[in-house]
Amino acid sequence: MGPIVRDRDGWVTRPLLLFCLTSTLITIVAGFVQVNFGTYSMTTLEVARAVTEPTILFNLDAWTGFLFGTELPEMEPGELIVWTIRLPRVFVAIIAGATLAVSGAIFQAVTRNELASPFILGVSAGAGFAVLATLVVFSGLAPFLPFIAAIGGTVAFLIVYVIAWKNGTSPVRLVLAGVIVNMVFQSLQQGLFFFADDLGIVQTAISWLTGSLTGTGWPEVRIAILPATLAIAIALAGSRQLNLLLLGEQTARSLGMRIELVRFLLSAVAILAASVAISVAGIVSFFGLVVPHIVRNTIGGDYRQLMIGCLFAGPALMVTADVGARLALGGTQMPVGVVTGLIGGPYFLYLMRKQRSMGEL
Amino acid sequence: MNRGNANDGRTATSESTDAQAANDRSTTSTDPNSMQDGSSGEYERTREQAIDEDGVVVDSALAGDRLELSYPTAEETIVDCERLDIPEGEVTALVGPNGSGKSTLLKALSSHLEPEEGVVRLRGDELQSFGQKELARKLGLLSQENDPVGSITVEDLAYYGRYPHRGFFEGISAEDREAVDRAIDLAGVDHLRDTELGQLSGGQKQLAWIAMVLAQDTDILLLDEPTTFLDLHHQFRVLETVRQLNEQKDVTVAVVLHDISQAARFADYLIALHDGVLYDWGPPEEIVTEQLLADVFGVEASVQYDPEIQILPKRALSERRR
Repeated sequence: MGPIVRDRDGWVTRPLLLFCLTSTLITIVAGFVQVNFGTYSMTTLEVARAVTEPTILFNLDAWTGFLFGTELPEMEPGELIVWTIRLPRVFVAIIAGATLAVSGAIFQAVTRNELASPFILGVSAGAGFAVLATLVVFSGLAPFLPFIAAIGGTVAFLIVYVIAWKNGTSPVRLVLAGVIVNMVFQSLQQGLFFFADDLGIVQTAISWLTGSLTGTGWPEVRIAILPATLAIAIALAGSRQLNLLLLGEQTARSLGMRIELVRFLLSAVAILAASVAISVAGIVSFFGLVVPHIVRNTIGGDYRQLMIGCLFAGPALMVTADVGARLALGGTQMPVGVVTGLIGGPYFLYLMRKQRSMGEL
Repeated sequence: MNRGNANDGRTATSESTDAQAANDRSTTSTDPNSMQDGSSGEYERTREQAIDEDGVVVDSALAGDRLELSYPTAEETIVDCERLDIPEGEVTALVGPNGSGKSTLLKALSSHLEPEEGVVRLRGDELQSFGQKELARKLGLLSQENDPVGSITVEDLAYYGRYPHRGFFEGISAEDREAVDRAIDLAGVDHLRDTELGQLSGGQKQLAWIAMVLAQDTDILLLDEPTTFLDLHHQFRVLETVRQLNEQKDVTVAVVLHDISQAARFADYLIALHDGVLYDWGPPEEIVTEQLLADVFGVEASVQYDPEIQILPKRALSERRR
């Protein structure tokens, strides 16, 4: 190899930077709105002061308290509400948004199908079933719900992979196997609802299955932050491989890519990312499907750009959607999945109308 | 390359009316039992070398031994070929009717399809012994149909050809840049460099894909029907590019061509396949005969050898006469 000259004509383009900047701004504004309102009423100025309070912002003890669950330093009630209830929910939304978007982008490349989403390969149905089974049958395991959800998703994905495997897999077989596994698991879920004897359990289950950020806080951030960082780092590193996968299987193989290995590893990363989101927010519908599309339509299909774009757009949209979910109806909070579904569905229909050819299936 | 006396080859082939007999003769290998006819010595082949009909020894870049090929999804054997050679530094065209196994054979030669039986060797080493990236630095393959890729530019596509030369985290080197510039120049798509693939015509697209395999910078190149569906102008552009590459950089080329007349004019060697069996092998002037056209392609045709080989197809033969 010769010496490394700069990367080719910089894929870090002005539209990409602008896109990321706008997304960041939206995230900040929406996050601030989220922090601003709630049953404990505070003025905007008070909130602003609490958020930027240097004795918390630059206090190592406070952060170890947030991130590792150690004792928190003394805070005023307003600060406490902002820093332990409202802000962490925004952080959870950021993490869930970023991981779901990245996961969706990976699945769309791996299956070479723009209609793919983190949940098409059985992840959502598997996770949902695991959650329901835990709540209804093994209620003693409820504290481990996030992990159980992730395990359920992974198991379902492995089943999909095994079904689709026949001397290697193909995108179409993967998607079809995903549909089948989804159906089976959904039937199992519906069956389980009959065994739930407590309305509270049913409600918890439904909030999981629709995706909700209600009541999330630092513990969720703690669960999610490490796997999310890991998944995102690998996804970014793998964006060049994703680009190559998009050229088609034959081409990628003849260029020396070990297709099955790369596809499996990247799918695993996508599952990890989706599981992170599922474990803290439940199954937020349409999100992983729509966000990569928005990014693709705005800055193009190069995965090196797309991944970065998703990383910024995902949080912006998730935080905004959660503001809607929490504040739109005044007193009652909706699950955020209802909002993303209501907005994402029609947007996706609009996309399908606009682009005549979408995906291969 | 000494093509020898074209007439000899022609007589030899037209004497054997049976396709199977012709196949046996030209694939006679080290098995002494099959060397019944007088000319047996001529056809003896070793692993890395082949001897053509005039007894000229040529080195093989790629060689298939006792190949039996089939797809995992189907039971039947698609190609059954005792011995196959792609001579080093020459252009070899694989010809045969639809479904004769040309593409399947090319897949096996490029390690895209693992043979049911037999081995493919690249300059003596089994294909399976190469790492995938390592192989991709030695051997390039352009598939018959490429998946539609709309939103990337011709230059982007050419850079993907550098994939096997780059490490996981490696950026683009000066060497990559040179290879891409050279490939784009050779394929003649310099003016389309920044055009997105979706906006190109079929022929331009094909040239862009060719730029990608050229950027791969391999010394063996396998092309699966690169001229099918192209207009005449682009067919010539593609073939001239391949020829140039062969002459200037001594690249070994194996190309599946649909059109036997084109193949006969263009290639140094022909491999004629019929029903998955190697019918004949050798320089076009020697193996293209009226008999071959009847046996393999099922057409009645006349062949002129002077001043250059020319095939004039007349009509299709009925199935029964074949």
